[in-house]
Amino acid sequence: MPETTGSERLPSGTGRAEFRPVSNRSWPVAEIDGGAPARGIGTGTFPPGIDRRGFLRTAAGGTAAIALASVIPVGCAADYPQATEDGVELEALSPKEYAVLRAAAEAILVDVPVPPDRIARRIDRELALAGDPIKTDMKTVLTLLEHLTLLGGRLRRFTALDVEDRVAYMHTWARSRFTLRRAVFQATRAFIYFFAYCDDATRPITGFTGPWRERIEIPAYPVDFGEVV
Amino acid sequence: MIIQGTHRTGDVQDRADVVVIGTGAGGATLAVYLAERGWDVVMLEKGGFFRAEDFSQREEEALADFNGRRGLDTTADNAIFLNYAEAVGGTTVHYWGDSFRTPPDRLQRWREEHGLEWMTEEELAPHFDAIEQELGIHIAEERLLNENNRLVRKGCEALGVEAHIPPTARIDCIGCGWTQFGCAYNRKTSQLITTIPRISKVGGRIYSDARVERILVENGRATGVEGVLVDRATDRPRGRFRVDADLVVVSGGALGTAELLLRNFDDPTVGRRFYINPHFWVFADFGREIDNVSGIPCAYVVHEWRLVRRTPSGEYAGGGYIMLTSHQSPGITATMLPETGAAHLERMRKFRHLGSLMSVIDEDHPGRVYLDGGVRKTEFRLKGIDVLKAVDYLKNASRIFLAAGAQEVWIPDVYGTVVRNERDVEERITARSVQPNAQFCAGSHLLGTAPIGADPRDSFAGPTGEAHRVKGLYVADGAALPSSVSVDPSLTIMGVARWIAAGIHERHGRAGV
Repeated sequence: MPETTGSERLPSGTGRAEFRPVSNRSWPVAEIDGGAPARGIGTGTFPPGIDRRGFLRTAAGGTAAIALASVIPVGCAADYPQATEDGVELEALSPKEYAVLRAAAEAILVDVPVPPDRIARRIDRELALAGDPIKTDMKTVLTLLEHLTLLGGRLRRFTALDVEDRVAYMHTWARSRFTLRRAVFQATRAFIYFFAYCDDATRPITGFTGPWRERIEIPAYPVDFGEVV
Repeated sequence: MIIQGTHRTGDVQDRADVVVIGTGAGGATLAVYLAERGWDVVMLEKGGFFRAEDFSQREEEALADFNGRRGLDTTADNAIFLNYAEAVGGTTVHYWGDSFRTPPDRLQRWREEHGLEWMTEEELAPHFDAIEQELGIHIAEERLLNENNRLVRKGCEALGVEAHIPPTARIDCIGCGWTQFGCAYNRKTSQLITTIPRISKVGGRIYSDARVERILVENGRATGVEGVLVDRATDRPRGRFRVDADLVVVSGGALGTAELLLRNFDDPTVGRRFYINPHFWVFADFGREIDNVSGIPCAYVVHEWRLVRRTPSGEYAGGGYIMLTSHQSPGITATMLPETGAAHLERMRKFRHLGSLMSVIDEDHPGRVYLDGGVRKTEFRLKGIDVLKAVDYLKNASRIFLAAGAQEVWIPDVYGTVVRNERDVEERITARSVQPNAQFCAGSHLLGTAPIGADPRDSFAGPTGEAHRVKGLYVADGAALPSSVSVDPSLTIMGVARWIAAGIHERHGRAGV
C-alpha cells in the first residue's frame, strides 16, 4: 500500500483565509496607552458564534427542545425540596437543578457506595468554582433532562419518574440519533461518574489502592526556584 | 524570582527587555534561551505556581488546580474534552513527557504549504540536541513499562506492527504513574523544574496568577502588556499590572494565545484552525489483574499507522494516527467506560483487569476558536477522512489487544460495543461509535490557532515568529505550529520556540553576550 507524506488537503473554508481588512480603520485595532481599550474581535469578522445553547438549537430536535425548556417556569422551588432536605446551601444550582442532578445520580449510581446527595452537592460546588460557561451549560442540560421526558414518551418530569424509569429514559437519550440528547446524557453522566469514582468510598469496587503519596514516603528531588513571594 | 499574584495586594509595574506570556513548553524554552544570554525577562502565567509538595496525585484536585477551566472544558457541543494546563510550567506540568522530534515529512509539508523554508531537520537539530540534553530526554527504561504497555507490545509483535518505547523527559523516574497530575518527586523534567528555576536564577521575574488582558501597541509596535493579578481561590482581582518591554512574546498555548489575540486584534487568521489530535480510547479486558496504573503512562507508542495509506486510485486505505498506551485513574476511567447503572458498575469492577490504548488522530479538518459574547469557545467536528481514521484506529487497536490475549475489547461508546474476534472487528466497529457524544473523546495536543507562515492571509505571524502586522510581537507555542505534528508535539513546540528565540537574539541581541 503506498504511503503518502500527508493526507487530505485542507478543505475550502478551513484553509487559506481570504484576508479581510477591517473596514473604516487601519489594522490593528489595538490602540493603546491611554487610548480606548483594545477590544475583542469585531462581530463581523467571523460568522455569528454558535454557543453551546446555540448549538443545541441547530441540532436536530434542538429548536423544539429549547423552546419548550424556555417556557418552563424557573421559580418552582417549592416543588423541589431535596436540597433543603439534604441540608445543602446551594452555590451554583437552583433547587430544581439540584433535584434533577440528585435524581440522575440516584438513577445511574446503582450500588455505588456514594450517596447521590454527596455527588450532587460536590458538583454544585464544582460548578460554582468553574463558573461560566461550564455552569450555565450544565444548568441548561439539567433543565432539558427534567422537562423533555415527553420526547421519550413519558408524561411525568424526570424527577417524578421512579428510578428504573429514569435509567430507561436516560438510555434512550444515550443512544438517540439526535446529538442534542446524547450531549445531555454524556454531560450528566460524565460529571456524576467522575466525582463518584474520585471518592475513596469506591475503592472496594475498583480495587484501586490510591495514589502513592497516600502510602509511600518518597522525597522529591530538591529544586531551587530562587526567591518565591 | 517567582511572584505569586495570588499573594499580592495592589498594582504592579515592571519593565523588561522581553515579556513572555505563558510559561509552558514554548514560553519557558524561549525565555530561558534569552535570559541566559543577558536579556531581562518577565514571564506572565495565568495559572498558579505549584511545587512537588502541592501535587496530591488525586485526579479531581489536579484537574481543578492546574487544568484550564478546572479540567471541565469541552467543545461547544460537549463532544470533546479539552485538556490543557494553566500553571507555571504550562502543559509540561501534566504532560506525559513523550518527546519526539518533528517527523521529516511534516517539516516538508510545512515548508511546501506554509512557506516555512527554514524548517529542516538540519536547522532544528541543534535546538533539539540542546533541549534533549537539558531535559535528560532518553528512551524510557524497560522497568517503566507496566503490564498494559507490555501487553500492547506483545500484540504489536504478534501482528508485526511497528511500535516503540518512546523518548521520555524524566530523570530517575520512580514509575509512580501519576505524572499527568504533576510529578510529586521532581523526576519528570517539566519546564516547572528545569527552565523556570534557571530563568529565576538569572534575574527573570515570573508572575503567576497574572491574567493578561491587553497587548500594548504604539505606532504599529508592541510595547508591553496590561492585565490583572487574581486571587487563586476566588478568581477575584488583587491588583493590576503593567509590563513595558521591547518585545512581547505570546506563548499561552493554542487556547490562551488565541483568546488573547482575538481580544486584541481583528485578524481573521487567529483561531480559524484549531487542531486537537482527537483521542478515542479502547479498553481490553484481560480477565485477570494487570498493572495499568504504575510506570510511565505511555511507555509504548504504535507508529505503524502514522501516515495515511491510499489505494493506487487515491482512496483512503487506512492510517493517519498513532496509538499511545494510556494511564488509568478511576474517576476519568469511570467517565470513559460505557453504560450506566449495574452494567457500568460491572465494568468498573474490572478496573484492574483493563488495558487501554488511545488515539492521536492526525486530523485534516481542524476546528476553530472564537469569542462569543466575550467568552472563548471552541468548535471541533470529526468529519470526512478523519472519521475514517478514527474507525480504522478503533479496529486496529482492537486487533492489537486481541492478539495480546484480551478476552474481549470494549469500544466505550453508548452502544456498549464489545469485540471478541476479527469478525466482530469488521462487523461491529463502525462510524456510529465516533459520532459526537457517542463516546468519550478528548483533545490534548492543541495547536495551530495563531500559525506562523509566509502568507499573511494564512498566518498570524511570519516565518520568524513575528506577527505580520505588529512589530515586536511574537508567537512561540503550540498556537504557532501550522498544523498537527502527527506525534506528541511537545518537543516540536520547544524546538521551534528555541529557534525563534535564537532568531530574536540574533536580530536584537544584547551587547556583550
